[in-house]
Amino acid sequence: MKFPIYLCVLELFASILLAQEKQIDFNSEKNIKKFADYLFCDKDYLRAAEEYQKLNGYEGNDTIIFKTGLSYLFIGDYSTSIDNFSNISSLSPFYENSKLERMKAQFLMNDYFGMRSFYNNNFPEDDSLSDRANRLFTFSYLITEDRLPQKEKFLLPFNSIEKEKISSFYDWKNDPPYKSSALAGILSAIVPGSGKIYTGDISDGIFSFLVTGVFTFLAYDNFRAGHDTRAWIFTGLAAFFYGGNVYGSIAAAQIYNAKITFEFNKGLNVFLESNNYFVPVYEFCN
Amino acid sequence: MNFVTKIQHITFILVIPFFLLWAQDSFKEQFQLAKNFYAKENYFDAITELKRLLFFDNEEKYLFEANDLVGQCYKQGGKFSDAIRYFTLAEINAKYPERIYKEKIEIVRVNILRRTTQSAFRILNSLETDNRFKDKIDDINYWRGWAYIFSDDWENAAATFAKIDSAYQLQKLTEKVNNELYSVGFAKAISYIIPGAGQIYTGEYLSGFISLGWNVLWGYYTVKAFAADRIFDGVMIANFLFLRFYRGNLQNAENFAEEKNLEISNEALRYLQNEYDGLKP
Repeated sequence: MKFPIYLCVLELFASILLAQEKQIDFNSEKNIKKFADYLFCDKDYLRAAEEYQKLNGYEGNDTIIFKTGLSYLFIGDYSTSIDNFSNISSLSPFYENSKLERMKAQFLMNDYFGMRSFYNNNFPEDDSLSDRANRLFTFSYLITEDRLPQKEKFLLPFNSIEKEKISSFYDWKNDPPYKSSALAGILSAIVPGSGKIYTGDISDGIFSFLVTGVFTFLAYDNFRAGHDTRAWIFTGLAAFFYGGNVYGSIAAAQIYNAKITFEFNKGLNVFLESNNYFVPVYEFCN
Repeated sequence: MNFVTKIQHITFILVIPFFLLWAQDSFKEQFQLAKNFYAKENYFDAITELKRLLFFDNEEKYLFEANDLVGQCYKQGGKFSDAIRYFTLAEINAKYPERIYKEKIEIVRVNILRRTTQSAFRILNSLETDNRFKDKIDDINYWRGWAYIFSDDWENAAATFAKIDSAYQLQKLTEKVNNELYSVGFAKAISYIIPGAGQIYTGEYLSGFISLGWNVLWGYYTVKAFAADRIFDGVMIANFLFLRFYRGNLQNAENFAEEKNLEISNEALRYLQNEYDGLKP
């Protein structure tokens, strides 16, 4: 009987097939990309970006660069995100979107002047996304302290649904409902507690009025009755509460203004997030 | 062909597949790579490699082990919600009660660490009533004791550790802490009777005597005003001065007792973190 070579070859073939089931090249281009896409859709953006950057020819693949830029944008690494968007060629179908995303990144890193300058130099009117870019550009004026354009002009880039909300933001920005801390202080100096009532702290105002009034009266009454020691104690207390009432009214006005500004900024952020910063939503994960 | 040659051929045919199959299990290698990262405390890369393994593991052979290790990595990185997510995935994919128990306890430990102890108690109670884990009662009580520690309930922690023979050290420590803690209610109650007494009880002697002084002073002026028939003065001094300091004395007593208790608890937790050798959450 001869050595059954055919059997050996057959077995070798079967074993290789079986072994391949257990073998996978995790670091092949195809698998890295598949895994990176999975991470991107699983919103694990930092890992997704790192995987995309492992790909050979990464720099020549505009989809990958764009998704890397988006990944960095989502994790808040705006400058790396901008670097990626800037690398997208003007011939790429992602070019327009990358410019818009770059503007969003600049907006998010509070580089409003850089963003405006980029908009002015890179978005001609015939650009397909110039209307979206214009909205983000215009919206930035609600955040900075720059002079606002005329209302009609300001509202022009926005659609009818957005206009109502933007109009209220514009009015607020143009004439914020702040309370004057100087006026609050002066009012409380004349009538204790009135400055607090002016800033909306009515119960605090009434309390300040009562406490200062009562101690002043006690001081007066004790001086009148010849109880000098007690009278001086009450005078000190009245002066302390009077000073506190003036200082408290100034502070109350400042707190009121800070609260108003906070609410306004929160409103802007909610509006921007609900409108995705005027940037389109991509269908990479569907 | 002689007998020896035949044996050689048969051996050759049998050995080939072993070499091929054994040498080329890249999933096993991938898991080992992730474990190496974990051992080097490189949790970020460990998670990446484990996620990669899970993504390509179509046979779902590593669903339990990889999810468990991802959970451990997230736990080590302080990302407790993610850790619980992956421990839960590991639990879902656990095939034996022993593994289900392990993952549930991991979830309990993370809940203890992030102080969501109500969830930890709920899971421990369900484990206790599960017939599969009847022999784990000491272990369940051990983690319940820890959950009580992190709920700042040292009394129940001591009572729970007392049920376990091997937890003598923890029982002693929790008992000691429980005995050292100040009673917030008592501090307040004695301050109602003698202003400043609550502060003195918590060891804040200066604050206690100052509080007593203010209360005596304004109490004296209040009584004096009423005694001299200066009713308005009396009401005003009582309301704006005496009662202000009296209320302040009560709040102070409560705050001091709570602050001291926090210091005692933190000191005990520091000891457990740095000196205790047993299993910790």
